[in-house]
Amino acid sequence: MTPDPRATGAQRYSVDADMPGQLHAALVRSTVAHGVVRSIDTSAVPPGTAVLVAQDVADLPLYGCQIADQRVLAGDRVRFAGDVVAAVAAPTAAEARAAAQAVLVDIDELPGVFDALEATREDAPLLHESLSVSDNEAAYFGIRPVRGTNICHRFRIRHGDVDAGFAGAAVVVEGTFRTPSAAHAPMEPHATVGRFTDDGRLEIVTGTQTPFNLRMELAALFGMDEEDVRVVVPPMGGSFGAKTFTRIEAIVAALARKTGRPIKLVLDRTEEFVTLNRHPSIVQVRLGATAQGDLVAKAVTCWADTGAYADCGPGVAQKMGFAAPGPYRLPHCSVDAYAVYTNTPPNGAYRGYGAMQSIWASERTMDMLAAKLGMSPLDLRRRNLLRDGDIYPTGETMHDTCFAELLERAATAVDYEADPTGKGLSLIMKGMQTPSRAAIAVEREGEDGYVVRCATTEIGQGSRRTLQLLAAEQLGCRPEQIRVPDPDTDRVPFDTRTTSSRSTAMMGRALVVACAALLEDGRRGYGEISEPGGLDPDTGQGIASSHWHQAAAAAEVSVDEETGVVRLARVHCPVYAGRVVNAPGADLQNEGAMFMGLGTALFEAIDFSQGQVTNANLSDYNIPTAEDVGACTHELVEREGAPIHGLGETALPPVPPAIGNALASLGIELYDLPMTSERVLAAIDRRAAGPVDAALEARES
Amino acid sequence: MRWHAPADLEEALLLRAVHGDEITVHAGGTFLGILMNQGLIAPPALLSLGRVAELRGVTIVDGWLRLGAMVTHLEIERHPQIRSGWPLLARAFSVVASRRVRAVATVGGVLADADYASDPPAAMSALGAQAVLRGPRGDRSVSMEQLILGYYTTCIEPDELLVEVRVPPAPAHGVYRKFLSRSSEDRPCVTVAAVRGDGGLAVVVGAVAERPQRFDDLCGLDADGLGDARQRRELAEAYAARLEPISDVRGSAAYRRRICAVEVRRALEALAA
Repeated sequence: MTPDPRATGAQRYSVDADMPGQLHAALVRSTVAHGVVRSIDTSAVPPGTAVLVAQDVADLPLYGCQIADQRVLAGDRVRFAGDVVAAVAAPTAAEARAAAQAVLVDIDELPGVFDALEATREDAPLLHESLSVSDNEAAYFGIRPVRGTNICHRFRIRHGDVDAGFAGAAVVVEGTFRTPSAAHAPMEPHATVGRFTDDGRLEIVTGTQTPFNLRMELAALFGMDEEDVRVVVPPMGGSFGAKTFTRIEAIVAALARKTGRPIKLVLDRTEEFVTLNRHPSIVQVRLGATAQGDLVAKAVTCWADTGAYADCGPGVAQKMGFAAPGPYRLPHCSVDAYAVYTNTPPNGAYRGYGAMQSIWASERTMDMLAAKLGMSPLDLRRRNLLRDGDIYPTGETMHDTCFAELLERAATAVDYEADPTGKGLSLIMKGMQTPSRAAIAVEREGEDGYVVRCATTEIGQGSRRTLQLLAAEQLGCRPEQIRVPDPDTDRVPFDTRTTSSRSTAMMGRALVVACAALLEDGRRGYGEISEPGGLDPDTGQGIASSHWHQAAAAAEVSVDEETGVVRLARVHCPVYAGRVVNAPGADLQNEGAMFMGLGTALFEAIDFSQGQVTNANLSDYNIPTAEDVGACTHELVEREGAPIHGLGETALPPVPPAIGNALASLGIELYDLPMTSERVLAAIDRRAAGPVDAALEARES
Repeated sequence: MRWHAPADLEEALLLRAVHGDEITVHAGGTFLGILMNQGLIAPPALLSLGRVAELRGVTIVDGWLRLGAMVTHLEIERHPQIRSGWPLLARAFSVVASRRVRAVATVGGVLADADYASDPPAAMSALGAQAVLRGPRGDRSVSMEQLILGYYTTCIEPDELLVEVRVPPAPAHGVYRKFLSRSSEDRPCVTVAAVRGDGGLAVVVGAVAERPQRFDDLCGLDADGLGDARQRRELAEAYAARLEPISDVRGSAAYRRRICAVEVRRALEALAA
């Protein structure tokens, strides 16, 4: 086997991509969270530096993958500290940065709003006066902006009669749960190089998980045919959702249009913290059961703080909503989910996409209910979990379920039944992008080789290796005989995007079709897979996910009760894979997802002060390190004849509630993430103060 | 930006004397790199001490440990004589950040940066270390309390260099505790360095305020220096009460005060054991 170019240093990433004659760009950002731009003074910029200001892009329409709410440059109104108001281009990156600092921006500050619930109040500052839904492919699901408010999407599930359900419940628990913003923190920052060619085409080389959505959006922005925009995607040094939809590509293209030169832009680490983050959330859960422990009703309201621009926030809120019922039979269920603007940096896709936030709330609530019933949390889950043929509150009939086995494996890993003290469980399901379409072409190349052309991007998740392994298996050759070039929208067929753990499941199946076609044709083959679906946004009825990602987790902890420090003895995640294609790759995906889950659980949070990020570096923003993750183990559950299940994200969401429930078994009740030692100590104080019935009353400062 | 890399200390001192504030000293570069990457400082010139061999020595003279300013954290952590003679020091330097950082971060750098959220200053203070500052007016030797004046502020004059750190013979007993509230490679939330010897008891709390905190007037206790369990608890609580802790992403002021009471007590218990 040839050595992995990532290990030898030979790998070229987006940051390494250059175009001859390129200029380097730097951005000028708002320093206030909300304001009116009075003037932009560029007189101190050295001669020979190109400057892009709002007037240069005044001819370009609003854009946004789901809501058209963003301009290429912010114009006369800035909506978050970090909003880009101007851009410069110079022969070197250092000159560009110096020139950007020489641009003086005068802004009159407006009142800002920094919390999703406060942003829904009538007297809250309004971020966008008009809201229109994009015609991008990513706006496929019936987006419901509430005009005249900061709500850019609301989604509902109505299943059964929730009031009647609660009326019949013997026991009801409720709580409010919060999760903070978080950074994706990929090693490689956002990096783009682009140009307009002599024949008027736009060529962009960029790190993106969404090449076709990006092509669509750039074409619409610059009034071009999609075929005249070319997006090439080198491997990325990590993304985790950060490099989705249009990020810095539109600014690069606008600068290229103005200067007539290729433009390269690489963000620095500080800028990463104001480019795209994870949605902070507030999730209220009310859950009722019979005295025997049968769930009868659940009502959930979620607020997803999408920041100053919607990005894919409507989609995140919707996924937060349809993950809210959880993997349990519920005769009556209602969900209301909102995506809400605030004066903070935009929030978007983040590994686990909305599911993590509502799973944290729901799985903690399950243990609160078990406590009130005087029942084992394990038995409560056993009694209610979904099995094949059960109906989900979206109306979907469950198939290929594995919850019972996953739960037992998790419980066994920590010997839960022998003694549940200091131990916690969680059981989760999350959806895959649906509707979804994947297509792929396979051709013979040279004497004994093949080339696979598809839009699946390499984020570091090992998609190339997986495609090689699958193709080799189908074509009866060695994986090294399969070449998988960088996705290039000029040369690959359409694919929805490389998100939501869908590539091995969707592109893998398309590849099987394509390989069979090649074997028949002898020269080339094409395969396409399409999964229909989608939900009615007003009732939540339809198909949320063509298949469900399923996992459980068990945690065993001890707590230093004087300091609140949580020590992990074990965190174990069984993940249902259906069938594993690339075993080492699948292991790494599970491990990585668990490690991110651990950071989410214990200490990751972007810290804001009046909309300003105060910890925009990797010293003040902590991610887990090698010494933090020693307790994590996982297993991949396979079944004979089962289809491939995606697993790139699945092991992240179960980790926080497993740890939270382990703490709850010690009487330490946490409602907010991360579960910092300081919050744990406050919860120990509350325990000492006596039992509290409602989480609402236990809100921390 | 200009990069000066003198080959010896004399040249380095000359550059410092000529350029003063216009030249920023670069030792290991771990902290300077963060500040420059974040755009917090943009020095017109850097004075690298990387080639200055005179600043790399570890020697013991009359029982005192002498550390050249460019001795790295990793060298202190691993040096057999430091580990046996000044175990508290070896310990404090071994828990800084990650091995990659410790391999380049220097003792001179960490003291001259005066970053409140670091381990070595409190340890050096508890051990009674002296920093040797050299400039056109000659050498002067200052205590940690004289050296570190506040956040990122020292008494080092623009024409001086911190060239050496001298640590007296270590007291018989010493404890260093680093309290982390987040990841294992985080900067400390609270640190405690405590020593007991012929000179009595010294307790220094770090990372909680603009400079290491020591309240020698509280450290009387009994003749043995450590009292009984109740006295140790009371001393820890008195320390916590006297502090004026800061709030940052690693913990609020109120939390730090509580942790201080716990960690000082635990340090004293370890000393007494």
